[in-house]
Amino acid sequence: MNHVDIRVAPHEPWYKYGVAVLLFEIAVAIAVSGYSLYMTFNGLGGFPGKH
Amino acid sequence: MRGHKVEQLGIATVGFFWCFLMWFSTAAFSPSIAATYHLTIKDLGLLASSAIWMAPVGRIVAGWASDRFGAPRTFAAILAGCGLVSIASAFTTSYELLFAERVVVAIAGVSFVVGVQHVAQWFDAHEIGTAEGLYAGTGNVGAGVGALLLPRIFGTDYRSAFLWLGMIALVVAAWYLWRGSAAKTMERRDAVRCGGDLRGMVFVWTRYIAIALMLAYAMSFGLEIALNAWLPGYFARGFHDEILALGFTGVAGIQIAAGTFAAVVSFNASLFRPFAGFMSDLFQRKGWTPLPFIAKELPYAPRLHWLGIALILIMLSMIGLTVAGLYGFLPLSIAVLVALGIFVSFGTGGTFALVPLLFPDRPGIAAGFIGGISTVGGIAYPLIFASVNAHVGYLYVALYMFAPFILFYFWAARYERHPQEHGLLGRALAGQRS
Repeated sequence: MNHVDIRVAPHEPWYKYGVAVLLFEIAVAIAVSGYSLYMTFNGLGGFPGKH
Repeated sequence: MRGHKVEQLGIATVGFFWCFLMWFSTAAFSPSIAATYHLTIKDLGLLASSAIWMAPVGRIVAGWASDRFGAPRTFAAILAGCGLVSIASAFTTSYELLFAERVVVAIAGVSFVVGVQHVAQWFDAHEIGTAEGLYAGTGNVGAGVGALLLPRIFGTDYRSAFLWLGMIALVVAAWYLWRGSAAKTMERRDAVRCGGDLRGMVFVWTRYIAIALMLAYAMSFGLEIALNAWLPGYFARGFHDEILALGFTGVAGIQIAAGTFAAVVSFNASLFRPFAGFMSDLFQRKGWTPLPFIAKELPYAPRLHWLGIALILIMLSMIGLTVAGLYGFLPLSIAVLVALGIFVSFGTGGTFALVPLLFPDRPGIAAGFIGGISTVGGIAYPLIFASVNAHVGYLYVALYMFAPFILFYFWAARYERHPQEHGLLGRALAGQRS
């Protein structure tokens, strides 16, 4: 493990793509959770695939 | 060493995703298997629980092997071995043999610690949280994808599913061996190989901070797998009338609603995990150390504080779950549960943003110890939940287990210099030069 001063180490180019992926995953989590709970609280079904 | 770190992250993530898919593929087809072999509820419970039998010991061995032989060889061996047994299980006609084969295939779940070690060998301290989070969080999604897609693609034909999963595992294993590289530099690889002996294992296992991280992971990932098994039954019993009032009818309807509430927790716990790693990096970059007692001067002190916050949030939301349950207000209970799923991801992501930094010469052994022993929580918590009133079990676990775990974490993380020097044995007794 490289013990440089991590408070000033610049981010490498991959990092912004990594952050984009994690934001996409959060969006998927919120969308699927919202859809599933809406369906369930309206008595219409459940998690995708378990209608 | 060949390769680029993003490529190595991609290989590890795909490998872990596929292992997770194989790990939980048995559960996805349990209704079909039950129908084929006329299984009872008891048999089904045994089949479901068998998925985590191999995790505690298997992860310890896999973590050590990844330090000793390198992650690509270890990961490829797991993928190939589990893949071959998965293929064999597609042709099995005896249930006893199928059960044994699926227990072996479930060993795929131990690959988690191998990937943690692999990623730690390639990424530097300032980005390790996000890298480990992306690896583990994206890989974990394999379980959800398996539950959603496998029955749709293969219907009730679990034999074809096991065959294809096994064959693709062999392809991924070959790819891992071909393109995978154990570490960014030879120096880093050699340092880890030398640390991966029995003395190194004794050293890690006896460190207070390693035990604290193991308990932190038991509070997060251990709780996650416990909730996966426990929540469908909890909602079906604890909110029976409220679910019927939503418009669901019969056992199947209640099962759909209860299963959905449980699935949402699991889904959030997986998909928010990379964000948790990112937050650990952000704490580090900003130098945030808001909690008392925990060290503030260590190079990775802010990450210790982020994990401390996550553990407190997990405990508070467990208490909230009991309060919401006793009020009998289903929407509040679901809201607390969604928050708990996210806080669990903070705990899992926060823990493995620290492990490679605390034990840079033994990342596999440390990951194996922390990721392996903690899975016992998946067995222990449901036993406690089941022993008391359905709603009060969360409060019991929060007060009698999580509160002491958090106090121990604060105590073990208080050292301002080299917390890994402190343990049950002195450095000399633990086999390390002082």
